[in-house]
Amino acid sequence: MSRRERASSVTRAFRAPRHGATVQVSSRTAPAPRALMSSRPPDPPLPLESLFDAAPEAWVALHLHSAQAASSDSMNALARLAEIAGDFTSRVSLEPPDAVLLEVRGSFRLFGGAQGLSRQLLERCRAAGYAPHWSLAPTPLAALVLARAGQGIIVLARDRLVGLLAPLPLALLRWPDAELERLDSVGVRTLGVALRLPRAGFVRRFGPKLLLALDQLTGAAPELRRPVACRERFRAQVEPAFELQTVALVLQHLEPLLKDLEHFLRTRQSGVDLLKLRLQHRKHPATRLDLRLATAEAQATHFAELLSLQLSRVALPAPVLRCELRSGVLQTLVVRSESVWRPGEYGGGAGRESPALIERLRARLGSDAMYGLCLVPEHRPERAFGIVELNATPSRRTSQAWCTTRRPLWLLREPEVLVDAPRELQLFEGPERIETGWWDGRDVARDYYVARDHSGAEIWVYRERLPPHTWYLHGVFG
Amino acid sequence: MGQANCDTTAEPSLERLLEHPAIWRGRSVARAATLSTGFTRLDVALPGGGWPAAGLTEILTVRSGLGELRLLVPLLARLGAQPPPRWAVWVCPPFEPYAPALIAAGVPLERQLVVRSAEPTWVIEQSLDSGGAALVLAWLAPGVATSVTVLRRLQLATQRSSTPAFLFRPLTESMRTSPAELRLIFEPQLMGGCVRLLKSRGGERRPLELRWQELNDVAT
Repeated sequence: MSRRERASSVTRAFRAPRHGATVQVSSRTAPAPRALMSSRPPDPPLPLESLFDAAPEAWVALHLHSAQAASSDSMNALARLAEIAGDFTSRVSLEPPDAVLLEVRGSFRLFGGAQGLSRQLLERCRAAGYAPHWSLAPTPLAALVLARAGQGIIVLARDRLVGLLAPLPLALLRWPDAELERLDSVGVRTLGVALRLPRAGFVRRFGPKLLLALDQLTGAAPELRRPVACRERFRAQVEPAFELQTVALVLQHLEPLLKDLEHFLRTRQSGVDLLKLRLQHRKHPATRLDLRLATAEAQATHFAELLSLQLSRVALPAPVLRCELRSGVLQTLVVRSESVWRPGEYGGGAGRESPALIERLRARLGSDAMYGLCLVPEHRPERAFGIVELNATPSRRTSQAWCTTRRPLWLLREPEVLVDAPRELQLFEGPERIETGWWDGRDVARDYYVARDHSGAEIWVYRERLPPHTWYLHGVFG
Repeated sequence: MGQANCDTTAEPSLERLLEHPAIWRGRSVARAATLSTGFTRLDVALPGGGWPAAGLTEILTVRSGLGELRLLVPLLARLGAQPPPRWAVWVCPPFEPYAPALIAAGVPLERQLVVRSAEPTWVIEQSLDSGGAALVLAWLAPGVATSVTVLRRLQLATQRSSTPAFLFRPLTESMRTSPAELRLIFEPQLMGGCVRLLKSRGGERRPLELRWQELNDVAT
């Protein structure tokens, strides 16, 4: 707090009647004239009571105008305000239907004190199209009451607070109407009068809840506020001045969106592993692209690279009128150290490069073009292995062999009929009988042999046990 | 190197100089880093004692599935066991790699990545350059355009990334030139195969007859 600010706050405090003596005893005096001089000597040691007096918190309340609050999208407005507030502090709380509270004590130094911070905060709100009432006070409830009263003031010291609150009407606390009417009937209409009432009698007549509210108003009792969860998706669109004919132009126009996305993710220390792109055309249905990443990422350049790979697969049916970018659910960004060398180079480990391979392949070729292998405990050869979706990096888990008989390295997708099998093949291992599968309707009854064909290759063939005893080629010992 | 005998002091340092991997003299054996094949006699026959650790190897066969993959199974198993986990990329394999047989040979399934694509050379190059691959196996169908330039790019990619890559190509390609570091022809035989080096920096020129049983002696 600057000296001038403190001086003005003091005069303001003296202007207001001091009713707070019942609740809070303060012995703080006006600053010595010496302190106002420009070349000031070193500060004298602080008096002990100033340690208790310094409010540990500073809350800003942003209160929407009644017109804005009444409109149907007041929750949207609050969410937007909360998002703006999130740039100033991590402690943001909503007060539905029409207010947002943020605790900014820790951000003063960064934003140039209480005044600098509130100025910047209001500028951001105005830029977003909101002009909320605001106030800064040591307690959330006081800030809220002051903002509701339409007073755009900064109060940092708790001893000034009661004086400023005293003349305000009690209705600003938004207590139930019945209670307010009872208080009104005994002549209690302002906060100051309410604060001066004897505590024991107040509890007896109006209950402990209202007394707690009064204590929270002055800071005598702490108020815990539920922090707001920030918006969990990113959504932005760009409508270029002309129709985009080529993929390269689309990418160029997406670049600022990706930059925004990176900023959005960085402020949340999050990443996304899914991006949805929608390109609108004049007559054709919109082109949709889903970019799936192997791990959560937050780098604009990384997104741009993968998008360009994926867009290279797409033929635009018509010029693009509008691009819309949406993110998937935000995920915690695990920051890993990147290796100086490539894996394999000078013994460098697999760092971020490993997931990059899967991503790039998937972006260019699609998910169907690539798969991993797994083992299925099943006796029928064509079902003894499975195709699995790939993870970002190969897992460290290893599966165990369970089949003891010899199996070929290659399996044919569909067994191939061998017309002249007995004459051409030289069988030298077998038969191995593999049978049944009645439970899923794919019954088999086969005798498998290891054979050698005319070119000398080892192959895996079987003969149907049922007539007409057809011979099939099923695998190759490649 | 007749002059080396005259100056006895220069000889050891010159010899040491000539051991540099980048220097290769005619029929001498190149000293590039190699990976053991798992077959003792094949190791001896190959220059440097194994597959090139950072280079393109071409294996030429009459057709796919003659047993050429078995030459590489020991390498797949060994690289798969090494940390950090990296992919063994199978680009356009002619059949389905059969999981039970791979696991029985000690190849970790979790690290196998099968990619089917119309542009195999792009996949190979990406896999090599990403650094996420421990080795790349690729089957280039006869239809795929593989100019010398493309192969040279792949060879350079293997050197950049210090990752081995193996190309399986039809035997007809043996008549055409290739920048691959090692080219060999594989022919199947009873319980084994015959390996002939077509192009190598040193190594054995005579055909080498391998038996699959030989592997077991080494592995166990």
